[in-house]
Amino acid sequence: MGSRVTEVASRLYDACLERFDTDHLFYQQDLLALDVIPQGEIDLLLKCAQALVDQKLFRLHQGANNRLAWKLISRDDAEKLQNLSPDESLVYNVIHSSGRSGVWVRSIQSRTNLHKSILDRCVKSLESKNYIKSVHNVKYPTRKMYMLAGLAPSEDITGGAWFTDGVLDANFINSVAGYIEYTVSRRSWYEVPAADRGRSKRIKTATGKAEVKSESEKTYLPYPANYPGYPTVDMITNAVNQSGITPVRLGEDSIIQLLQMLCFDKKLVSLNNGTSYKSVKNPEIVKASQSRKPAAEEEMASPLHGLGKNGMTESPCGSCPNIRLCSPGAAISPETCEYFDPWYEKVLGF
Amino acid sequence: MRHDDFAATQYAAELCALLIEDQFGDLFARIFTTLQRYERLPLPRLKFYSRLTDRQLHHGLAAMIQHHLIYHFTSLEDGNTYYTANPQAAYYLVRSGKIIQLVESRLGEYAARVMEMILYLGHAPIKHLESLPELRQLKPAVPNGVHKDEEQELQETENDMELEDDTNGANGANGDHVEEEEQKPAPLNSTLKALASHGYILRVKDAHFQSPEDNYIEAHKAAANRSDIKMLKGKRQQEALLLKTEEILAQRTDGDLSEGLMVNGLPRGVKRKFVNGISDSASKRLQTGHNGVNGDHVDEDGEENDWSEDEDGFDNIPMESGLVVRVNYEKLDVALRNARFVEMAEQDAPPTTAKVYEGLLRRIEYITKRCRDTDEIPREGEEGEQFSVPIETYKIVDAVDSHLDLSSSIGPLNPATEALNRRGKRPLENGVNGDHHDEEEEEQEEAKGDDDDNGVSRAFEINQHLKLLEQAPHNLASHVNLSEGIKWRVGFRGLARKLRHLELERLVEMRYGDVALRVLRVLHAKGKLDEKRLQEISLLPFKDLRQTLASMQSGGFVDLQEVPKDAQRQPSKTIFLWYFDPDRVCSSVLEDTYKAMSRTLQRIKFERTLRRDFLDKTERSDVKGNEERWLSEGELEQLQRWRDMEAVLLGVVSRLDDMVAVLRDY
Repeated sequence: MGSRVTEVASRLYDACLERFDTDHLFYQQDLLALDVIPQGEIDLLLKCAQALVDQKLFRLHQGANNRLAWKLISRDDAEKLQNLSPDESLVYNVIHSSGRSGVWVRSIQSRTNLHKSILDRCVKSLESKNYIKSVHNVKYPTRKMYMLAGLAPSEDITGGAWFTDGVLDANFINSVAGYIEYTVSRRSWYEVPAADRGRSKRIKTATGKAEVKSESEKTYLPYPANYPGYPTVDMITNAVNQSGITPVRLGEDSIIQLLQMLCFDKKLVSLNNGTSYKSVKNPEIVKASQSRKPAAEEEMASPLHGLGKNGMTESPCGSCPNIRLCSPGAAISPETCEYFDPWYEKVLGF
Repeated sequence: MRHDDFAATQYAAELCALLIEDQFGDLFARIFTTLQRYERLPLPRLKFYSRLTDRQLHHGLAAMIQHHLIYHFTSLEDGNTYYTANPQAAYYLVRSGKIIQLVESRLGEYAARVMEMILYLGHAPIKHLESLPELRQLKPAVPNGVHKDEEQELQETENDMELEDDTNGANGANGDHVEEEEQKPAPLNSTLKALASHGYILRVKDAHFQSPEDNYIEAHKAAANRSDIKMLKGKRQQEALLLKTEEILAQRTDGDLSEGLMVNGLPRGVKRKFVNGISDSASKRLQTGHNGVNGDHVDEDGEENDWSEDEDGFDNIPMESGLVVRVNYEKLDVALRNARFVEMAEQDAPPTTAKVYEGLLRRIEYITKRCRDTDEIPREGEEGEQFSVPIETYKIVDAVDSHLDLSSSIGPLNPATEALNRRGKRPLENGVNGDHHDEEEEEQEEAKGDDDDNGVSRAFEINQHLKLLEQAPHNLASHVNLSEGIKWRVGFRGLARKLRHLELERLVEMRYGDVALRVLRVLHAKGKLDEKRLQEISLLPFKDLRQTLASMQSGGFVDLQEVPKDAQRQPSKTIFLWYFDPDRVCSSVLEDTYKAMSRTLQRIKFERTLRRDFLDKTERSDVKGNEERWLSEGELEQLQRWRDMEAVLLGVVSRLDDMVAVLRDY
């Protein structure tokens, strides 16, 4: 009898393997429908199923309407699981059930009712066998979370594409942002073809507004207001993914997040409720300002940089850290101010 | 007239006193600071507090009233006359340079000189201006001479104030002796009319000498005494009373001169090329077009003030000689604000578009009396949008220089087909290389006359440019579609807010870098946020974010709100929300700006005392004007350095005033 059960069970398993994929949840009828159990003997089925569960080839689940259901486990995994102690397999199952979102150590404890020291031992041994891994949650950086070693953490845990190990990857963000800005910029300005440029130049000199431009410099014109060709989120996402600057494929949501950030930087503006984007500066300027970034901020004066200046940013008082304390006759006073003399030197050059 | 609590703050008061001292000397400053410190005073108390002699006080008060630096009010109840400082007028002293420059760019050099004189005199009757020798000629006289005369005149006008009638004789005598050097009679009257029709000057009324509060109380009394108001009862009476008070107040203070002087809705003296018709100026341009020497007619335009050769004779009718005029700061603020808007357009839009925008703003300026109707800038979020009067496109066409090449600065709607089109068209146009341009011009002129196809396409192009400005990064104008076509308007409140934010953002960028700028904009757009959410939106590493927030908080740009979850208020159970309150930040930055201005002025004073001996020498009457002759090379260099330094410091003050204008006046 026992050998018969093992034999039928192994045939059942093979049939299941053939019909269902690993994530499929199947019920009693499904198993009976496989035509493996002779005459649909419920009793035999029960025994087979139990045997398979014992061998860790089936995982027991509670399906809809509290019915019993199973899922397949591959033979490799089953082998792993069979080597685990009962406590360990309990912990493993809890972690397995959490899927890609991971589970906090404390909630494992509450769900398994294991003592903390036992739990720690189980987790340690599972980790050393490389069955599970610890993950970093951006939302709760202090919590110790675990998930199966073979899974990639979900975006809730990692905080999206912009995080590496729970920390915002500033370099990555900047490089993608720079790429997006330039790409969008190229599509939101009309580049006057070389032949036409000569023409417009001649006209300009004829009207007396001589504007000498070097040949290499390109002329960009804005498109009219109802221009339909501004890049959409879709186009931008594709462009980024095809550019090869990202190791992983970025989703549209991540790109939208970045696009909104660029809008806050006033580099792009969103049109039509955020479906398409337009750059504020033309490609020439974008390129210039990007290439200049690493070379420090010596040239604050150039019009390319930033928002320009006003009285407060120019005057020595505007950048004075002690303006609140300054008053005539006091320790810090306009008479004794040490910022004015260097400022004269800078402004007047003497 | 605005009279908010502007002077109530320490640094604003200090600044006003410094400006007055700089301009008019110690006596005025003393009286002014006394009045600022003790507010409203009758003469005996003023004398007591200021410790001045009767003579000094009378002299000073009369002259300060002439300059509108002091309000006075004679109470009918106790018969006392009370004096109050007018900090607005004192502050506007710093803006006079800008005003003169603006007038010069709009109406030419002579108009600027007339304006300067009116500013210098505070207010002046027309007949007095007529008698001034330096306004008789188109070309400015030798500076030295003018200066002396002016001082003399000032004395006279002060007398004028006290003894209204006596001045006539004195002026007459004074006026005559310069007559012989006059080559060409200056178009004083037409210039004044141009200034008046632009709204840059206004009629002085009795109410202008009283503080706005006094005017309001008087108007209120007058309204309450009216029989039709008395008949009403309760709430309705209150409402009617308020309305009537406003009406009486407006009637008493309104010195607008522009209405009667507008021609076809345009002020007089607007440069000819902007004017509707194609009369002589168009033909003139045609001629020069043929000449091919473009420079010629430009010079002509510059020299003769266009309105002086008005053939209809209207301008030769002198203005009412008893009319007393003063500068209309409110209107000038409108013009200066528009200049800022154009600057904003120039930043990201092509220059041509900015020119078109300038044309639109110019047309709107003519009908905008003041920057806003409320006394103070309303809190952000509570301020409704207030649109200007919509302007028809054809009017903008007239306001834009017809030489302006409108077509070549906007890209094609559909680049692929357009490229073909252009290539097909180009050889045709290019056929006769040199001449075609002139021909085109002629065609344009003719077309303008006939008002055919070409004019329409120009209107279309103008619309294109303005639509560009209506779009996202600019949002500088908006259009209304009416049955008779598109009209353009400008939402001033929103733009003024944009200007304010721009000033704040510039400051933040300079102090805390562009990361801070992003954080600030996120906070402004989203309201109150905790750190996590802020990070998700701004995509900044925690470390940078916290540092930035902390430094901005200590600088007073962002604030932190604690929301405890329980009564114990434990930090671990508290939500911390960051927020940015633009109103609060604006007012504190404004305060700092006043302070920076007054510190800079004090620094100038200090630098001057350092060089007192040397500067006294350069200001000696025999040295002044003949510096090359009397000063050594080293001294000349020193003088030049001092002048540069003073200029750069005054330049800073004026730049700071630009900020004050944005934060307070626009």
